[in-house]
Parts: sequence; C-alpha cells; structure tokens
Amino acid sequence: MARSDEDRRTVLARFVTVVGGMLTAGVAGLAGVVAAPKRLTNSRIWRRAAAPDDLSGNQPLTVVVTARDEDGWYETKKQSVVFLDRDGNGYRALSATCAHLGCRVKWDETQAKFLCPCHGGVYDRQGNVLAGPPPRGLERLNVRLNPQTAQLEVEL
Amino acid sequence: MKPGAAALLDWLDDRTGFRIIRHHLLDEPLPPGTAWFFTLGSVLLFGLGIQIVTGTALALYYAPTPDHAWDSVRFITTEVRLGSVLRGLHHWGASVVVVAAALHLARVVLFGSYRKPREVNWIIGNVLLQVILAFGLTGYLLPWDQRAYWATVVAINISKLTPGVGEWVAGFLRGGPEVGALTLTRWYALHVLVLPPVLALLVAVHLYLMRRQGISGPVRARRGPMTPFFPGQAARDLVLVLAAGVVLAVLAWKGAPALEPPADPTASGYVPRPEWYFLGLFQLLKYFPGRLEVIGALVVPGIAMTLLALLPWIDRGKSRAWRDRPLALGGFAFGLAAVATLTSLGAMDRPSTAAAGTWNLQELDGVTLIETSTQCATCHTATSAIAGPIEAGHIGRPADWLASHVVDPEVIAPGVRQPPPTNPRDTAAILAALARLRSDTAPALDPLTREAAGLIDHNCLRCHRIDGVGGDEGPDLSHVGRKYDAASIAKRVNNPLDVKPDAEMPAFAGKLTPAQIQTIGTWLAAKR
Repeated sequence: MARSDEDRRTVLARFVTVVGGMLTAGVAGLAGVVAAPKRLTNSRIWRRAAAPDDLSGNQPLTVVVTARDEDGWYETKKQSVVFLDRDGNGYRALSATCAHLGCRVKWDETQAKFLCPCHGGVYDRQGNVLAGPPPRGLERLNVRLNPQTAQLEVEL
Repeated sequence: MKPGAAALLDWLDDRTGFRIIRHHLLDEPLPPGTAWFFTLGSVLLFGLGIQIVTGTALALYYAPTPDHAWDSVRFITTEVRLGSVLRGLHHWGASVVVVAAALHLARVVLFGSYRKPREVNWIIGNVLLQVILAFGLTGYLLPWDQRAYWATVVAINISKLTPGVGEWVAGFLRGGPEVGALTLTRWYALHVLVLPPVLALLVAVHLYLMRRQGISGPVRARRGPMTPFFPGQAARDLVLVLAAGVVLAVLAWKGAPALEPPADPTASGYVPRPEWYFLGLFQLLKYFPGRLEVIGALVVPGIAMTLLALLPWIDRGKSRAWRDRPLALGGFAFGLAAVATLTSLGAMDRPSTAAAGTWNLQELDGVTLIETSTQCATCHTATSAIAGPIEAGHIGRPADWLASHVVDPEVIAPGVRQPPPTNPRDTAAILAALARLRSDTAPALDPLTREAAGLIDHNCLRCHRIDGVGGDEGPDLSHVGRKYDAASIAKRVNNPLDVKPDAEMPAFAGKLTPAQIQTIGTWLAAKR
C-alpha cells in the first residue's frame, strides 16, 4: 500500500515536471517564433542614380538614390547615398556605408579621401581602406548605363 | 475600548498580518559600524523608482513609430505640462542610476562584501548592472532623432561581431532588413515590457538574499549590539536619497538635451555620440582596426565583466582588510582607471565635421516653397505624367536650365503651366534649395523654422548675413542669440528707433504682424 502510494507520487511528480516543462518550452518557443524577424534582406533592383554628364571626373559625385521600400507596415522612400565616379571608360559606384560599423562616410574634397566621422576610417577614391578600423573597403555596387534612358543606374 | 484608528489597524493586522511584514521590512538587524557606505543601494533603488514613474508618464504620450516618435517626443517637451522636466528626469535619472550602481559596486568590492556566502548575490548584482545598461541602450533609440538612430546603427553592427551567431543576433535586434519601424517597436517593447519585469524580479531576489545573509558590515567586525534598520540607518539612507534627488532635480530642471533633427539615414558626416556611460566602449573600438575589431568590441569588455563576476573566487581568504587583498583591489583599481581614462578620452574626441551639413535659411525657405507651392505641385507629383517629384538626388538639369525653368516654366512646356512666381527672392531661394538637393536630403523642418525661414529670408537677409548667406549692410546675425533674447530682438524688428535713436534699419511694425515679428525673434534668439 505504502509502496504503491510512493510510486503514484513519483509518477505524478514526473508528470508535473515533464508536462510543465514542455508547456513552458512550448510557450517560449512560440514567443521565439513570433519574435524572430521574418525578412532580413532586401532584394536588389536597378535604380536610377544620375546622368553620365553629371560626373565631372575631378571628384566623385555624391548621389542620394531614392526608391520605394517597405519598412515593416510602412511603404517608405528609402534613401541611400552612393558615390559615382568614372573608372577608365566605365563607371564605379561605391556605397557610402562605412564597412566598419555602418556610419555614413563623406567625400573630403581637400584630402581627396572618403572619411568616416565615427571611428576615423579613411578610404581612397577607389574605396580601399587607407587608415582606421574598417576591415574591408567600401562596398562596390553594380552600375550600368541604361541605353534607353541614357541614365546611370545602380543596383541597390 | 481602543480609539477608532488603532482598533481598525488591529482588525487589519488580524486579517492580514501586516505588522509582521512591516517588522520584517524595517527592523532588519544591522551589525555595528554599518553607516554611510551602506546607503548606496537605497540611492540606486530610488533612481530605479524615478525611472519607473517617469517612464510610465512618458509612455502616456509616446508613440513608437518612425513617423510619430520624434513628433511625440517634441510634443512631450513643448506641450505636455512639465513635459520638459519629465523628459529631463528620465534622461538624467538614467545617469543617476548608472552612477549609483557604479558606486554601489565599488563599495561592495572595497569592503569585500562578495565573499562567501554572498557569491550568488554578487552575480545577481552583476547581471543587474547589465540589465541597467540594456535599459540605457534600448531607451536611447526611442526619441528617433539623429543621435538615437546612428548610435543604434553602430550598436547593432557591433552585435554582428559576436562569433558564430553575430548575424542572427543583429537580425533579431533589427527586426527587419534595416534599422527602421520594426527596430523601433522591438526596442520599445524591450525597454518597457521585457526589461522592467526582469529588473523587478532580480531586484527582489537581490534584496531577499541581502536580508537572508545579512549586511556584511565594516571590514573589521566590531563589538556591540545589532541595531535595527529603522530608524537610524533608514534616516542615513534618506539623507543620501535626498542628496541624489537634489542633484537630479537640478539637472532635470532644464530638461533633457534638445532633440536633434529626426533620424535621417542619408545624412552624411553625422557624428554619432553614445551616452556618456558607453563612451569608454566607443573609445576602445578605435584601437582595434580591421579583423581585430571583435577584441575591442566584445573580447576586452567580456573578459573584464567575467573577471569582475569571478571576484569572489579570485579573492578568497578570511580577512577583508585592504592590505590582505592586493590582487583584487589592485585589479579593480586598474579596471576603474581604464574605464575612467577611456571615457574621458572618448569625451574629448569630438570631430568637428558636424557643422558643415547645416542648411542656411535661404535654402530652407526654398525647400518650404517647393513643398508648399501649388505652382511646383501642378506638375511635380509622384503620379504626374508631365514631371516627376522634386527629390534629393534626382535633379540632373544644369543650373541655368533650372533658373529659366523656375522663372518661367512656359519656356519648357507651353500651355501647361501656371504663371511663374514673380518674387525674385522666392526664385533665388528655390534655386538655392534645388542646388543643395542635388546631393543632400533636405532636413525635416519644425513649424517654427519653416515659418521663420520664409519671414527672415524675405525681410532680413537683404541686409543681414546669417550662416553665410545674406547682405552685409547690417550686422551678421548668425549668433545674435548670444546677445539678445527673443523679446528684445522682436522689439528691434518692430521699431529699431525704440532701442537705438540713430538706427538705419526700417521698422517692420505694420509690415509684419506682431505674431510674425515674434516668430522672427524666437527663431533668432536660438542662434547662439
């Protein structure tokens, strides 16, 4: 009698522990599924950036590319800063996002370098790291001359 | 028969037993020698209480969405009764909490209070410190101004450096592909729903263990009877709490630091500054270039935190006297000195590139005209078949083409345009704005600046120079707010002869309404 009562209590204790644990894990798992972001990258498309004549050749051209974008439940205009430059007979487009921690780099005309205001990253005109903490150069974006519109487009 | 109140309390005690709880809370026995050094935990509790109350009050007005967050914070500052002080209390209250936590921690280390049997409570205290810093980090984003946005971009990119799971952690913190609406709601939820109960639970356990194990007391145990917490030590605690409250009130009276312009992902050359208690980490990052980055961002702080948490096992032994604990105290002093040095280096390192990005009044007037003019909007709309919207980076026409187009749109497309604006100052302002819009995004304007830009551009810049644009017949007004307040500027604009008998400046009374003159005065008084 005492023996079976003990067995019964052991089984019940195990039941409470296991099922209670599963219940907790289930709720936590559901919360995790909801909390995990659904989409982490944007698909890139070609966007109009500038007319070829806008590129003087002396300095890279700073262009703000505006495009429709989704931000959660918003349809917003996403604005990205791009540096356009001539590269031999073609064109070069560099992202203005610092490869270090994502601040917005700026073309400094007097030094002829890209400078990051946050932690002192310095890049040359081709986007290669000259000094400071960036682990790699500025991202090179695909750029093309659209023959129909005669406009330069970058893939963003 | 007892008097009514006492009888009522007796009845209540019989039904609830509240006197035992009160006795337990207030009559905690303290070892002899417990004095001023043991008041810091109460200061910290006070600071946390202030944050909970002010944070709840802020939540009554705050909207965590990118298109309303900044405006709602501005509304709190300017419209809500005592709103500026409320924001000030919450902003500076965070600093009071961090300082109190640091002092409390230093006291525990100096007194060796983490020694057996208090190791677990020491660990909980360490976790609480992390929770407090997490509050600071998540709350920093909520005003959604430039400072908030860029500091968060940097913080999330730092989390990417976590070995193995970095991208996943960063994605979880961002909530979407970019820092945006989904990040703001996420950090808001963390700040007001997730972290507070975690904090409350940990504080409850921290206090429970403190009571269970008792106060460690002075380094060398003294002889003498135990004394109850109430009222002696309670009074000491209250004195320190009052002192902290006075400091907080003085800091908060002038409000939180002014809102910067709304978050703008395209702003070039913006220099993000973290809150002062993260400046040390910010500075540390600069010493580890390239692939070594992770060392400055995570390894060094991680090792420091781990060593701190392991102190009870590093610093064993019986005596809590300073001379018997050279390793622990030396290490702690070194860490403290390192944090202080890095923080002050970070505070001194202020790049001076920020000013170059500001738009002058003529450009701002032009932006306002373009946005509000029915003439531009006749053709330049998102859905128009004639011309696209006027947008930053989409202005490719040469300057002379733009000049003739603004003066007379008929030149380009006969028959579809309204008559052109006739005011040459409008034309000049629009052209200045278009030139700037080639490469820069226009800043978001508050209503005051919007109105003042038009008024000052039309009435003042003919003779006065402000931020590098305008005439040179009158004095430069770029810093006029250092000399005059809004009322005295308005008086001068209204009729200069009232102030200076030989003034050459014309009176604007009658030409402008009193409200317009007031707007000019208010805006100029802020030019310091």
